[in-house]
Amino acid sequence: MENFLDASRHKRRVLVVDDEMINRELLGAILENDYEVTKAENGQQAWELLNSEGTAFSLILLDLLMPVMDGFELMKLCFADETLKSIPVIVMTSEKSAEVKSIRMGAADFIAKPYDMPDVILARCQRIIEFNEDKTIIRYTEKDTLTGLYTKQYFDEYLRRLKADIDSEMDAVEIRIDRFHLIKELFGREEAHCLLRETAALIRRDLTASRGIACRTEDNSLLVYCEHRNDYEPLITGFQEELAQSSEIRGVNLRAGIHKYEDDSISLENRFERAKAACDRVCGQYETCTAFYSSELHRRSMYHQKLIGDMQDAIDNHDFMVYYQPKYQIQGDKPVLTSAEALIRWKHKELGMLSPGVFIPLFEENGLIRLIDQFVWREAAAQVQRWKEQYNISLPVSVNVSRIDIFDPELVQKLSALLTKYQLEPHELMLEITESAYADNADALIAAVEALRDRGFRIEMDDFGSGYSSLNMLTSIPIDVLKMDMKFVRNMFRDEKSMGLVRLVLDIAAFLEVPVVAEGVEEQRQLDKLKQMGCEIVQGYYFSPPLPADKMEALLRQNAV
Amino acid sequence: MVTIEKLKEFGANTEEGLARCYGSEALYIKLVNMIPKEGSFDALEQAVANQDLDKAFEAAHALKGVLGNLSLTPMYEKCSELTELLRAKKSVDYTPLVEELLNMRKKLCIICEE
Repeated sequence: MENFLDASRHKRRVLVVDDEMINRELLGAILENDYEVTKAENGQQAWELLNSEGTAFSLILLDLLMPVMDGFELMKLCFADETLKSIPVIVMTSEKSAEVKSIRMGAADFIAKPYDMPDVILARCQRIIEFNEDKTIIRYTEKDTLTGLYTKQYFDEYLRRLKADIDSEMDAVEIRIDRFHLIKELFGREEAHCLLRETAALIRRDLTASRGIACRTEDNSLLVYCEHRNDYEPLITGFQEELAQSSEIRGVNLRAGIHKYEDDSISLENRFERAKAACDRVCGQYETCTAFYSSELHRRSMYHQKLIGDMQDAIDNHDFMVYYQPKYQIQGDKPVLTSAEALIRWKHKELGMLSPGVFIPLFEENGLIRLIDQFVWREAAAQVQRWKEQYNISLPVSVNVSRIDIFDPELVQKLSALLTKYQLEPHELMLEITESAYADNADALIAAVEALRDRGFRIEMDDFGSGYSSLNMLTSIPIDVLKMDMKFVRNMFRDEKSMGLVRLVLDIAAFLEVPVVAEGVEEQRQLDKLKQMGCEIVQGYYFSPPLPADKMEALLRQNAV
Repeated sequence: MVTIEKLKEFGANTEEGLARCYGSEALYIKLVNMIPKEGSFDALEQAVANQDLDKAFEAAHALKGVLGNLSLTPMYEKCSELTELLRAKKSVDYTPLVEELLNMRKKLCIICEE
């Protein structure tokens, strides 16, 4: 640690306050090799500088007798200020009596006038700065007991003192053990912590060969401030291999996000935030284990943050709209409109029409999708009621129930309340549940589906075949409709195997005695083939794209005639 | 042009002055060259003329610091004498003392302008 301090080439800032220009120039010349010197002509000027740049200064060299505001007055102000009082003051005076008075007021030391030789002045400045920094830093617990790295508080204070944010040769890095919570659950807390300790030891070993400092921040995250590398991949994969040798736990994935110095306008705190963002991106990925923060990544995360921030207002202002894509029963002579799927659209007030592919995964990730879902449920239920009242047509609409909704203990209650409010039968609001929810928590999904079906709702298994489908799931969850993922339809004419898969899904549905909805039907030959194979319901651009409510209404009226 | 030689002749402790400037002749000469423009001399003269001993003390005190730092010994000594008298508010005639100091300054100015 000490070596690292010595090795830091960053000049601390010293504020020289003296009304005599010759003195300021002389002191400036003495100090400027070791410090960045700022000069003020009197207490007032110094006070203004301190108020704007404050803790950027590591030391104040203060003359006492000055016009406008003298040194005593400035000391009084500084020592009464919560932040500024931490900056040590060395008083410059030729008066013995003033020396005592200054020290009593809180000055750290004094320099006599005429000045001592430069080396004496420099030594005094250095001693006071170091003493003051040690005093501040000692307040924090230095080491993290678990990993032996520094604590986050100590790490922050240390880098602040180093003025590390202006060091262009250092990287801000976050290293994380991917899916640490699962490791904890599977192998126990003790084993998981052992893994963290071993990772920390590897980082420490790496830092002994170069300048740097590391700390533990969250449960599974280690922050490293170290000399720049162009490629962290060898380092991290090397760590992984060593962990594989030493640890009982198999398949440990270390991930690192790195922020390379851009310019000194970005604070160190923000640099580590950006390293974290880069690390978030690379977590859960397999092809690579490190990522540098990039402006593209930054742009994307700012964009995401904007969407998240704008969402609630957008719901309130009806910038979200529900579109309806018709589904047709195709087994008769003529296709018959039987129902529709409600799909969300966002007409953003600044960004225009946004693709659901942009915001749905984002909101799924942070749970905000619940609000979107509830909005769609409300809108769709109200729409079904309007069509019933105006045209005496009951067109069931299916809405999405996201994974996170499944865990809502009030799910059945919320949906039932909508039926009551809009005077609908349960079959008029069909519920689409994605099969991937089964992988998350099978028991919760089964319980939720059973409760919903008991209330009379019809359940459609959405995106069937797109994820890790399990035949076991199909027998354990009572569903009413199977929605074949659109990829099956899109690829059905590619080769025999692809066609075979479509047949397989249809066979599974037949076995379960539920109808299949084929999504993504765009061509006549797809429709013909599906019909011939016994598929009952079809949805896709062949018949219609998703339509805004008024267009859907027109279609409905036309259909009624 | 001021040279170290001329300053020595003037009575300055140039070794000490240079040491304080890290041995840089250029810096030392530069700082000495600032003396002619040093405002505290005029402030001192004015304050003494107005019999304002507090102001005179402030000016003399400030000058003493500067002159000491540059090791301009004759001026520093004269200024120290003045400062102590003013601090004690001795009722003496300050004019001749100030006059002496100003004459030294004049002499230094001439050296600077030569």
